Amino acid sequence: MARKEGVEPTTDSQLDPILVSVLANRFDAIVREMTNTLFRTGRSAILNTAKDFSCCIVTNDHNLLSAVDSLQIHVMGAGLQTPSIHEFHDDVCEGDAFLHNDPYLGNTHIADHTILVPVYVDGEHLFTSCAKAHQADCGNAQPTTYMPFAQDVYEEAGLVFPCVRIQKDYRDIDDIIRMCRSRIRVPDVWFGDYLATLGAARIGEKRLKELVARYGRETVVSFVREWLDYSERRMGHAISQLPAGELRASSCHDPLPGLPDGVPVNVTIRVKPEDEIIEVDLRDNVDCVPAGINLSEASSRTSAMIGVLNCVDSSVPRNGGSFRRINVLLRDNCVVGKPKFPASCSMATTNMTNRLINATQRAFSELGSEYGLAEGAASMGAGLGVISGKDARSNGDEYVNQILLSNNGGPASPVCDGWVTYGMPDCATTTLVDSIEICELKYPILVRSLHLLKDSGGAGKFRGAPAHEIVYGPRFDKMTVAYFAEMNQHPPLGAREGLPGAMSYVRKIEKDGSETDLPPIGVTELEPGEWIRGAESGGGGLGDPHERDRERVRRDLEEGWVTPEAAASVYGYRGE
Amino acid sequence: MSSYYRIGIDTGGTFTDVVLADDQGRMLIGKALTTKEKISQGMLEAIGVAAEQLGASTADVLAKTQLLIYGSTRATNAILEEKTARTALIVTEGFPDVLVRREGGKENPWDFTQPFPEPYVPRRQTFELPERMTAEGEIFKPFDEAAALEIISRLRQENIEAVAVCLLWSMVNPAHEERFGALLEQHMPGVPYTLSSRLNPVIREYRRASAAAIDASLKPLMQEHLREMETDLQAAGFRGDLLPATSLGGVAAVGDVIERPILMVRSGPALGPVLGAAYAEAETGDQNVIVCDTGGTSFDVSLVRDGRPVRSRETWLGGRYSGHLTGLSAVDARSVGSGGGSIAWVDAGGLLQVGPESAGAMPGPACYGRGGDRATVTDAAVVLGYLDPDYFLGGRMALDVKAARQVVGGIADRLGCSLHEAAYGIMTIASEHMVEATKEITINEGVDPRDSLIIAGGGAGGLNLVLIARELGCKRLLFPRTAGVLCACGAQFSDIAREWSASRVMRSDRFDLAEAGEVLDHLRGEMAAFEQTFENWRVEGFRQEFIVEARYLGQVWEIEIPLQSDLKTQQDVEALIAQFHDAHEAIFAIRDANEVIEFMQWRARMTAQLKKPAMEAVLEGGAQEPAAAKRISTYFRETGEVEIPVYQGETLKPGMRIEGPALIAEPTTTIVLHAGSEARVTALGNHMVEIDV
Repeated sequence: MARKEGVEPTTDSQLDPILVSVLANRFDAIVREMTNTLFRTGRSAILNTAKDFSCCIVTNDHNLLSAVDSLQIHVMGAGLQTPSIHEFHDDVCEGDAFLHNDPYLGNTHIADHTILVPVYVDGEHLFTSCAKAHQADCGNAQPTTYMPFAQDVYEEAGLVFPCVRIQKDYRDIDDIIRMCRSRIRVPDVWFGDYLATLGAARIGEKRLKELVARYGRETVVSFVREWLDYSERRMGHAISQLPAGELRASSCHDPLPGLPDGVPVNVTIRVKPEDEIIEVDLRDNVDCVPAGINLSEASSRTSAMIGVLNCVDSSVPRNGGSFRRINVLLRDNCVVGKPKFPASCSMATTNMTNRLINATQRAFSELGSEYGLAEGAASMGAGLGVISGKDARSNGDEYVNQILLSNNGGPASPVCDGWVTYGMPDCATTTLVDSIEICELKYPILVRSLHLLKDSGGAGKFRGAPAHEIVYGPRFDKMTVAYFAEMNQHPPLGAREGLPGAMSYVRKIEKDGSETDLPPIGVTELEPGEWIRGAESGGGGLGDPHERDRERVRRDLEEGWVTPEAAASVYGYRGE
Repeated sequence: MSSYYRIGIDTGGTFTDVVLADDQGRMLIGKALTTKEKISQGMLEAIGVAAEQLGASTADVLAKTQLLIYGSTRATNAILEEKTARTALIVTEGFPDVLVRREGGKENPWDFTQPFPEPYVPRRQTFELPERMTAEGEIFKPFDEAAALEIISRLRQENIEAVAVCLLWSMVNPAHEERFGALLEQHMPGVPYTLSSRLNPVIREYRRASAAAIDASLKPLMQEHLREMETDLQAAGFRGDLLPATSLGGVAAVGDVIERPILMVRSGPALGPVLGAAYAEAETGDQNVIVCDTGGTSFDVSLVRDGRPVRSRETWLGGRYSGHLTGLSAVDARSVGSGGGSIAWVDAGGLLQVGPESAGAMPGPACYGRGGDRATVTDAAVVLGYLDPDYFLGGRMALDVKAARQVVGGIADRLGCSLHEAAYGIMTIASEHMVEATKEITINEGVDPRDSLIIAGGGAGGLNLVLIARELGCKRLLFPRTAGVLCACGAQFSDIAREWSASRVMRSDRFDLAEAGEVLDHLRGEMAAFEQTFENWRVEGFRQEFIVEARYLGQVWEIEIPLQSDLKTQQDVEALIAQFHDAHEAIFAIRDANEVIEFMQWRARMTAQLKKPAMEAVLEGGAQEPAAAKRISTYFRETGEVEIPVYQGETLKPGMRIEGPALIAEPTTTIVLHAGSEARVTALGNHMVEIDV
């Protein structure tokens, strides 16, 4: 195929292009309404403040159609999950809802409970309305939704629902509700979050039916086909504008027990502008490991795609159509591929996912100075840990929840500095940050400080965003904190002479004020009067720091993002 | 001659709109260019234009004006243009980055070319004060007097002009904020400051800090502006009361606004539902009203639900996530970048897009003939024949049809369609953004647009509102005769409004009647004290309302429930609980009937009712058929090219009916009636459009 300069207007279109724009907007609006519902009605802070959930619409042939406002890692693989509905049920009908959290059947990881609602129009299953929410607890062996040390799924021990019917005729199937209530640590919170998630999926169902009634089945079905084709053309065009090349990058996950050298990730990318295809080959990687960090198939595919999509024109629609232009090559029994049962995928949305996204987006910077990104920070240390215990203020009620108070620094890009409230590569800038007051209201903790760390953003022509540091502790009774300060030994790297971001750390402050280092991965218990201090990591820089615009260095100094020493030694700034 | 007047003013970035009402209930429109150096100049000019229509002089009218209501974009623009005071922020030690972090989030997560936004107050002007309260308001770390004084001496060195104070949990125990305020008064007398616990006593440190910072930063500027305005108006002969409009959808005394200038932020659009409620009451009695105001660059939509303006705490200045949140409860007026000046373009995949980029006033749409070379919504309207090139702005501006056809033709070439199809496409896509914005504010809040009345206005509001209403399934659409100056007209119908709130968490499963009584009594006390200040005012009556913000246990976002009793008995409480479950289900489609409800914020709202223009029939009825001024060639998708009649608005009399397709040309807006719609001139002289859906 010859390289094209532009994209031909639709020629085989049966639909008015104006109507295509209108309907594309309508589907996005439905997803926004689903999202708004879940955000405002969720019970746990991870949903109603941090927004760790996603809504999307999938077609009956398993193409992602709209996922606006969603977490990248959550939904791009939604089309891998929906086939389970008919695979396991031969009596699917209107009014059904399914609970699906099985990483071996297309889900991300066990903590992500997904509600799938098949949307029927005149007896035909036309769309699936999906809402996926990270749970406060999912019945794991320990009070955390992340189990890094789990040797396999049996040690992980979370409750698995391999696409199980949870509603029939729009009514709960109480057997399933009881199973969850009897095993999940905070059953009322789980139930409230279930209602919020179900509510979002049902709102999606209702609106999709109204949409089809308004425009007619034929029009909507041809719209879907044309919209996906249009998106594919946009993606093809964007790829055709890239230089051709084979790119390689590696990253390395920090060491784990039994894996003293860490876990390497290798990515090979083939950019083929003439074919308008990008191929990401992940087959040259190690086998599954006896730890909770193996990726599910959904996470492997999605991570590679996120890395690519981060480097492609942001106005190209992200859906099943544009995804056709990205080929991800995976192999069985691979830590970043298709997991081999019973390997644990407990942390399949964070650790190796983030390493994989980072290596992919950094590889693109080899194409030239206007391409790719540096690496984004991805620790889940003290300030993003899972806290649990009993709350003396409400008769010793149990609490367990991941807090999202702290933050990681975003990567520098070829045109600007990193984003400060970045989150992590897997959900870059889509999760929100918790309010200190909301956290202290809901949980018996006191936060002593929370601020940005000077010099922690990787230096470069464009600077990575700095890391946050937090200090907090329990107020009345002992509290458990489960955390995973990745990037404690292998920092987020810079691109094209940009420097890496600062590495994470976790410390304990004793009652006498003395501080000791804690292991970067662990579960620790704190008494009242004891505190945990933790910094996440900073984003990588891009380009030579000496080439940084002097006015930017001056502003960084004035605003306290960098110290005078770093300005002089790293940026070569002499007060000009 | 009228015995008294009331003047409503809306000072926008380009035009100053005036609506002058006399004692007969007549309303006259004046428009003049905004004079940024001296706002009162353009204001007086616009008043003059309106006065002239009564054969009166500006001085004459001003001398007899009792109330002058002033809505302005000045506060909003000062923020967006970063022309506010040099402001310092005082925070609890350990938490200097509250304004940097905001609440996280970003509009397009795939876009890595957007720089991280600056905090409202720079980090170098943020100071950490050693102190700390707990969630229950107990002192965890005492206020450090010496450190506070040290901070104040640094504020002086840094020539700080205004100070915002936001300490953790100050809404539960404001003692430390109050202490710092007292030290400021002592050591920096005359420097304005804002305490977050007084301005906006709600949970969430970012929202309090942002509100306090915005408020403090506006104080020097708005104090000077309002004082100068008072002086200028007095010099011109005005002896009545100047009342600035506020974001609560009402007005307030100058002194109150000077104390809390953040109330003037987005006060113009907040007048929308005021107008909506007044016109709906006079015309149809509708309780649910959608108010749409289409200007040159934006489309503002707001809502009246159950007879009251819908409010929100989510007003962003300068974009969601990346701008600044005011954090205050204010009229929920959503704005999308879609208006008459929005630019149309074709993307890389061959699809037509409209906005958010706008041609603005300069160069403006191509048809303005001022060098605009990109197709806008207005150009599309000209191509479609919807705007009479000889009667734009009442004939004061000629439109360049050739230029409009040329730029829309460029779009048609790229789309591979006809000129008319391209123009109609531009209109449709622009309407689509407006439809979505309207759906978001109605459906997400549990209001069905199909059962609502739309009231529309703004210079570009008549072009596509019939299309929008039809898409929403809405059968009735009202264009007030003053549609072109919607906000200035809303000012004519506003009352003095003030709110107080108290944080007191109560649960449905152990509801304490005595405690609830205490909270309500406290709020009643505030209202009584406020009422005392009205002795000299021309107030016709007072209205009190109580609202509680409530949620299910564990949720963090509340919904507003208006109290329908004074909560004296257990039955009253049961009714309130039932009301909450119903409201939650209406908005979110779920009900958790066994769950505990938490009542968080208690609010009291007092309205001091002002005298308003009488909404009475002022025009003579006309039995005769309306006479078209001319016929004009237009294009609609359903019919293709078609010749339709054009009616001049001022020639139409109550009772007349006009069947679409037709155009009604008013001096400041043109109403496009599509086939299947019919306009009727009401007894009050407004246009009520009925639409087949």
